[in-house]
Amino acid sequence: MKSWLLDSIVAGVAAWVLSCGMALPADAQSSAARAAYKVPRTPDGLPDLQGIWQVRDTTAALDVQDHAGALGIPPGRSIVVQPADGKIPYKPEALAKRRENFKNREAADTLNKCYMPGVPRITYLNFPFQIFETPKYTLIAYEYIHNYRTIFTNGTGHLDGLDWWNGDSRGHWDGDSLVVDVTDFNDQTWFDASGDYHSGKLHVVERYTRTSLDTLQYEATIEDPEVFTQPWKISIPLYRHTEPNFRILEYECQAYADEAAKGGGQ
Amino acid sequence: MKIGRVLGLIFAIAVLNAQPPAPPGGPPAGAGGDRGTGGAPAFFGGPPHKPGGPVQHLADGHPDIQGFWNSGNNGGAVFELQNHPDGRRPFFGPGKGAIVDPADGFIPYTPEAKAKALDLFQNHLADEPELHCYESGVPKQMYVQFGFQIFQPANYVVLTWEFMHAYRIIPTDGRPHIPANIKLFQGDSVGHWEGDTLVVDTTNLDDHTWYDTVGNFHSDAEHVVERFTPVDTTTIKYEATVEDPKVLTKPFKMEQDLYRSTDAKYEQMEFGCIEGNQDVKHYTKDKGGAADIKVK
Repeated sequence: MKSWLLDSIVAGVAAWVLSCGMALPADAQSSAARAAYKVPRTPDGLPDLQGIWQVRDTTAALDVQDHAGALGIPPGRSIVVQPADGKIPYKPEALAKRRENFKNREAADTLNKCYMPGVPRITYLNFPFQIFETPKYTLIAYEYIHNYRTIFTNGTGHLDGLDWWNGDSRGHWDGDSLVVDVTDFNDQTWFDASGDYHSGKLHVVERYTRTSLDTLQYEATIEDPEVFTQPWKISIPLYRHTEPNFRILEYECQAYADEAAKGGGQ
Repeated sequence: MKIGRVLGLIFAIAVLNAQPPAPPGGPPAGAGGDRGTGGAPAFFGGPPHKPGGPVQHLADGHPDIQGFWNSGNNGGAVFELQNHPDGRRPFFGPGKGAIVDPADGFIPYTPEAKAKALDLFQNHLADEPELHCYESGVPKQMYVQFGFQIFQPANYVVLTWEFMHAYRIIPTDGRPHIPANIKLFQGDSVGHWEGDTLVVDTTNLDDHTWYDTVGNFHSDAEHVVERFTPVDTTTIKYEATVEDPKVLTKPFKMEQDLYRSTDAKYEQMEFGCIEGNQDVKHYTKDKGGAADIKVK
């Protein structure tokens, strides 16, 4: 194997950096800190991911790929890390459908009807969510329209024949990471507000890894043979709310729409 | 899932109508099981409730109440919380409700509030909050159908419902309530343990929810103190004391039993409501809805 070669290159570069007395580049510093970070444990001995988390990159929910700014849409970089070009590997006909979706996004995005957002979109909506852990289940309670996901970590498998908005989530602990296999989706949700979509064959594997006291790296590998030429992967950091009074409140989309229709509201 | 659930509810109503009222304290006659024989009892079939063994405790010393539970629905409270000796024809028959104080089982409304509740029933049933896919509020959330799951992660008790995918997060770390101007469907709950009893104090409730399906209502001054007392491994005694000075002349107290599902394979399903809600348009105009038909 070539790992000795890689090791010696890494060691050599590190020695060179140190010998030059140069500061490490910021991202190298943070990856070193990540490697050194020891994930705390819950009283049950599980890696402790508990807390209230939220994305800081609020443009991903609008468009997960690289995009320039537009009215009401701040610019943003792609959260797609595989393939390396940051682009979703659509089949040609699926790319045409994506363009159509973009044109019709106001009416066609079911998020605008207050429906459940689906996975992984629910993770990077700009709303906080709280992770709770018990030995048999990890529960994620989202502020956004009181969605919750019960992630079974009790060894049970997927149920058959369902088509759910947020899918059926079965997880396991892989070292310090929570890995969640999600299937049984319907074809009604999108990945963002720009028409990036999937079929009912969507299969998502999520990985939640705490990288410091206040950061959690969220990765999701996405496959859907009807829409994509190959699996692709997103990665986005989540930040822990450290405000002492912070808590999950309610965002009741439908109720607010009903109030507005009646001319009321707060 | 929604259609099946609503049909189930209609069927259950039909069963309640067709049969004499359930004996006090016991579940109504089974309406057929859609969860096999071991599902949560009391409403959708399953075996009759059986008392379990001695209450078990977690490593932190608190009772282990984790698992799937369902309201025993004492006296048909999900339809009407208070005593309803004549029923509400044609919707459902007589029942005692779940109020134990005052002893007559009626909500101690002020005269104005009593008139408003009657008006809601007679003219505004289309405003029934769950019809619009809203969460149920407290204590109603504790006697809706289809059951709920209890989790006990460190410093919290968390409850999740299949119905409307509602949840309640109850911290037990001694934190204070949030500021009074933030009103929530589920309110702000803080809990503490008194021996084996979980005591939950809930404020910050908005005035959008009802106590039941027939217009019994509260204001945004509602304050609820709940007590969850495990009796054995399959039974929790649930009590809720409700005060609401804008609507009530004095507090009232309700009681019910919560029963554990003993089906080891039981899981909650996803419950879509907004996603395909057909209920509102089927309510007739005389009840504040959109449907232009007369029901005899």
